[in-house]
Amino acid sequence: MITALGLNYQTCWENLKNGQSGVKKITLFDPEDNETRIAAQLPDGFEEYARGYYTRRLKQQMTRVTRMAYVCAINAVNNSRIDFNMFDPLRVGVILGIVDTGYNSLEQEESEDNRILKSMNNAPCALLSIKYKIEGPCFPVSTACSSSGYAIGLGYDLIDNNRCDAVIVGGADSTLSPEQVRGFNELYALSVNNPEPEKASCPFSRERDGFVIGEGAGMLILESEESALKRNAEIYGEIAGYAMTTEAYNLLSPKKDGEGMVRTMELAVKNAGMTVNDIDYINAHGTSTFLNDLCETMAIKALFKERAYSIPVTSSKSMIGHTIGAAGAIESIITALSIKEGILTPTINLEFNDPELDLDYVPCKARKQVINTGLSNSFAFGGHNVSIVIKKAFRNL
Amino acid sequence: MKKITENTRAEVKDIIFDFLADACEIEKSELNEDMKIIEELGGDSLMFLSMLEIFKKKYNLNVELKAIGKYILKHPAETIGEIIDATLVIIEYENRIVDM
Repeated sequence: MITALGLNYQTCWENLKNGQSGVKKITLFDPEDNETRIAAQLPDGFEEYARGYYTRRLKQQMTRVTRMAYVCAINAVNNSRIDFNMFDPLRVGVILGIVDTGYNSLEQEESEDNRILKSMNNAPCALLSIKYKIEGPCFPVSTACSSSGYAIGLGYDLIDNNRCDAVIVGGADSTLSPEQVRGFNELYALSVNNPEPEKASCPFSRERDGFVIGEGAGMLILESEESALKRNAEIYGEIAGYAMTTEAYNLLSPKKDGEGMVRTMELAVKNAGMTVNDIDYINAHGTSTFLNDLCETMAIKALFKERAYSIPVTSSKSMIGHTIGAAGAIESIITALSIKEGILTPTINLEFNDPELDLDYVPCKARKQVINTGLSNSFAFGGHNVSIVIKKAFRNL
Repeated sequence: MKKITENTRAEVKDIIFDFLADACEIEKSELNEDMKIIEELGGDSLMFLSMLEIFKKKYNLNVELKAIGKYILKHPAETIGEIIDATLVIIEYENRIVDM
């Protein structure tokens, strides 16, 4: 993964465990005319770091989002040590959550060349298929904040239905441009805590006043158990099941009392062949908006009943902001690493309790805890919900 | 019909090598005519169009893209040498390449 907390998953993970905030004043453009002037922007060295991954010519055909997706996916492939030449290319796929490629005013100021290539939503998937000679299913998914969660679900299905042996899944996003920040401000969706950037993203806190935009990418290599064992792969976790639902209710607000969220989590647990008693960690959508955090808390209480109070619920967005189309993938990776290492990353900035939000949000400091099964939630504008059940890899049991 | 000489070939080759060395970030001295542009140099199909624009200006060519498209369909060009040869045919015959 690539986030405001680091350009590779190892750095991100260390900083997440340390409870660091990646939020600061926006420097990608002059934000003085925007109501919100803070974000969890990638570290300054990203473009220089990424330069080694493509030719200058290819860079000229990419947006920042495409570059993030490309670099992150190559890192994931390298980390997994998978060799796609050993696979039937028709049985390997790429599914990425890409809301859009971010061909925004900043990109256009830099250059208007290659306009179509830069704005093609499928470009990140296509470029990876070209790089790795992948010839199976290859497409982007666009369901706003749940895009990459959907991508993981669809990749899982391709393997579960024996259509693919391996699938690159994930997502990338950067909604940092003056017009996109303005657009979210019009919806009263963003925090305006400009004076204290590192405290602005405070999911489940009484002080929460909106989400903080995050840039990021998260990529996973999904493969069948048989394939992973055959090549002696390091297995980070096992996707046990998932559910995707639509609320059919409102473009912005979740359904009353989090009803749609309950249904999504319930179906995911059922799809995994488990009961709610098997879930011992929830990586929440936890955006730091008034409605999401309230509804998600109500949904967890409705589904898990009394157990809700003893299940740790964390929000990674407190540190890396809301990475929109990449959030589902990044948070699934964090869920898998939490299970693998037995460490819960904290929900930082939770200093002032909201009386209605009274679950165990793992406030401020990481916690060591043995976890066997986690649930990663993504609930999007438009009512596109997804919950993914991730359990400890069979080999790590 | 333009007359193609050894000098023309050398000139076209030089321009194509310069272009590919720059676009693919490879030393010009490392290039040879047997190299496959997409498979070995990581190039793309747009490169040929970019090079074509250079030659259209340099040789004041009157040639339509669809004529070139039809020609390339019948005479695929993958290596640098094949691209040089195709370019020379385009320079020599312009729109009449469609009949070849």
